[in-house]
Amino acid sequence: MIMRLPRLPIRFVAAAVTAVVGITCAGQTASRLPGELAWTIGFDPKTFDPAKVDDQESELVRYLTAGVLLRFNRSTQKVEPQLAEDWSISSSGRTVTFKLRADLEFSDGTRLTAKDAAWSIRRVLLPATGAPVAEEFLSAAGVTVETPDERTVLVHLPRRVIGIGKVFDEIAIEPADRPSEGRLTAGPFVVADYRRSQYVRLRRNPHYSGPDSKEFGLPYATGIRLDILDNHEQEIRLFEHGEYDVIDSLPPDYFSLLKQKAPNTVRDLGPSLNTEQMWFNQAPGAPLPAWEKAWFQNQAFRVAVSRAIHRADLARIAYEGHATPAYSFISPANVAWFDRSLSVPQEDVAAAKAGLAKAGFRLIGGVLTDANGHPVRFSILTNTGNAARFKMATLIQEDLKGIGIQVTVVALDFPALIERMMHTQDYEACLLGLENVDPDPNAMMNVWLSSSPNHQWDPSEKTPATSWEAEIDRAMNMQASSLTDAERKQAVDRVQQIVADQQPFIYLVYPNALIAISPRLKGVQPAVLAPGLVWNVENLRLEGTR
Amino acid sequence: MARGMTMRIPAIRPAAFWSLLALAAIAIGVLALPGRSYSGQDREQLLASASAQHPAGTDALGRDRMVRVSAAFLLSMGGAVMASAAATLAAAGVGTLSAFSPAALGSLAMLACDVFLALPWLFLLMMVRSTLPLTTSPAHSAAITFLILAVVGWPACARAVYRGALELRKSEWMLQARAAGLRDKQIMRHVLPNLTSLLIPQFLICIPAFIIAEANLGALGLGIGEPLPSWGSMLLELDNSPMLMHTAWVYLPIALLILILLLFEGVATKQ
Repeated sequence: MIMRLPRLPIRFVAAAVTAVVGITCAGQTASRLPGELAWTIGFDPKTFDPAKVDDQESELVRYLTAGVLLRFNRSTQKVEPQLAEDWSISSSGRTVTFKLRADLEFSDGTRLTAKDAAWSIRRVLLPATGAPVAEEFLSAAGVTVETPDERTVLVHLPRRVIGIGKVFDEIAIEPADRPSEGRLTAGPFVVADYRRSQYVRLRRNPHYSGPDSKEFGLPYATGIRLDILDNHEQEIRLFEHGEYDVIDSLPPDYFSLLKQKAPNTVRDLGPSLNTEQMWFNQAPGAPLPAWEKAWFQNQAFRVAVSRAIHRADLARIAYEGHATPAYSFISPANVAWFDRSLSVPQEDVAAAKAGLAKAGFRLIGGVLTDANGHPVRFSILTNTGNAARFKMATLIQEDLKGIGIQVTVVALDFPALIERMMHTQDYEACLLGLENVDPDPNAMMNVWLSSSPNHQWDPSEKTPATSWEAEIDRAMNMQASSLTDAERKQAVDRVQQIVADQQPFIYLVYPNALIAISPRLKGVQPAVLAPGLVWNVENLRLEGTR
Repeated sequence: MARGMTMRIPAIRPAAFWSLLALAAIAIGVLALPGRSYSGQDREQLLASASAQHPAGTDALGRDRMVRVSAAFLLSMGGAVMASAAATLAAAGVGTLSAFSPAALGSLAMLACDVFLALPWLFLLMMVRSTLPLTTSPAHSAAITFLILAVVGWPACARAVYRGALELRKSEWMLQARAAGLRDKQIMRHVLPNLTSLLIPQFLICIPAFIIAEANLGALGLGIGEPLPSWGSMLLELDNSPMLMHTAWVYLPIALLILILLLFEGVATKQ
């Protein structure tokens, strides 16, 4: 589970401060080459070294250029062989065997063998490389790689890793001893040109050896231009002028605008895997008054707040209807793991008031006070630059006024927000989003384990602070070690129910995936998982080109 | 009063002055209407067009735009007037004392003012504002915003007062008063009235400057907190082209802000 800004284990949404009024006019873009695809990325990629990818933009460049042994199909959500012809996991789950395709080549025409694959895997495992993907092996130091012959690679794991196949989707196979930062690849494209703050240009790899590549001459496009642009106004204008072929993750208001102008280009794919939620700071060491900590650690208080929030209004007003009320960390889009029988505290202001009264809170002159006479007021922190999120906070402010709680909404820029949230813990409540890049709940371990620094409401607990957090730990560890999917599902369902009962995160909405696709672009199969619109980039082509 | 010590009050353009007062009266009238609230959300009337119920329509959260603009106008003008008065008084004190102090001390005080003026105030303002407790209520955030503006705004004004007071110190009537044996205390009583012609324009200049500064801070998310309306938060709507296409009423705050600034400009005329 990741928040939308690359790249912490949880990534926080990139938020640009839109401080000054004014609309930037369309800027200059590099001219488009024949058959070239084009879209935007928000920022410069931090690295082109596929082993060191640590941010969304670099990850996209790696996805477009890297040859990988296995590819996680974003549409079917199944792992499929790419450079590997076949692969298997031993019954113990500790040995992964890959059989490479015959006659694999890098983009310069040199042969790709098991030696290159083994070298690439070992490289990401080396602590000196600092590859974030190494963490996914759980104990990278104990992993060994063997190459019994030119087409076979054996990876021995010290212990079973759930979803190990998907890990190899993130390991680019590079020529042994010749890392090239994307300029020499076995993927569909190679990095051809990069101009800081302007664009990254990729060109077609004529030696690409993915599935069906030889038969159909994949990839179809001659290249890709990724313009570095963080301005929706300009992006939409250039999209309308045919400069860009796709726009991923449109904000709801811009979606509506584009729908008016070019209705055949936009699509609402329904709920994404992402969630928007608020939570109270329950950390015992937080620099907050003792009575506030007592409120936030009180289950009845959290449930009452959750019940007082009109989620349907949040979806309708803040997202212009392009969101779905949320009560769990698993979105209905995640069909395999969503629990339809989940019992959740539904919106009910009377029940919220009754719950607060039972917990010792009183309404005095319209102001909620605790048993010791402290008026209940707190601030909700969110990030600047996200209009929908700020609207949600303002709507919640009004909703909670209805049960006598005075809320202050504070929008801070991301560095200041992260400083308070992760370091000083000087905040009361926070409203942010989490982006799930992987539908498997195992990827959410870094949020749910009480010992994790990303266990936001009380990070890095030495031992679970409450019995229900201990139970979440047990259930998450169980799902990580269970051998059957049914057992895993049962454990994850239990975690969902505990979270619904305890409300450590008060889930608000699942934002819909809003996209725009140029009518000229053919072969698109939109998916909610990143990179949603271009996951099948080999098959994308512009109308009128081959 | 000694000869030559005449008070020179700058002329006030009546039309602009009365227009401002009329606008303020209308704003008070709008807010006084029963059932009007700047924070009330009519969630079934989002971005509604002008109607009898909402004469300037509603914003994206269903709040009455006319009420919010009126509240922002009164808040901004009231805050800016008070901040300007505080800054002008501080400047009068520092400028006058510096001018009548020994030359070295006066120069030192003005050097301090220059250093103060050279500081990157926008960033310092942002820093100070972001260090405030998160629970600072919207009303307190408004008071603090204008207090900060007053603290930041006085040095430029002090420099002007200092120059005026220096001229006064060297004026013939002052020399005559000293020659006639008036003590410093007696002379000082006549200094401030003779600086009125300088202080009033300074006061009037500071008001629109502070209104703009508050709008800038608000647009940066560092001004007055929601749900209290402010120019800055309302101007942020203009940064969103879907909103611009939806309703022309979104231009009301910027139009009114420009009008108010022009009226303030018109209030003070050159002597």
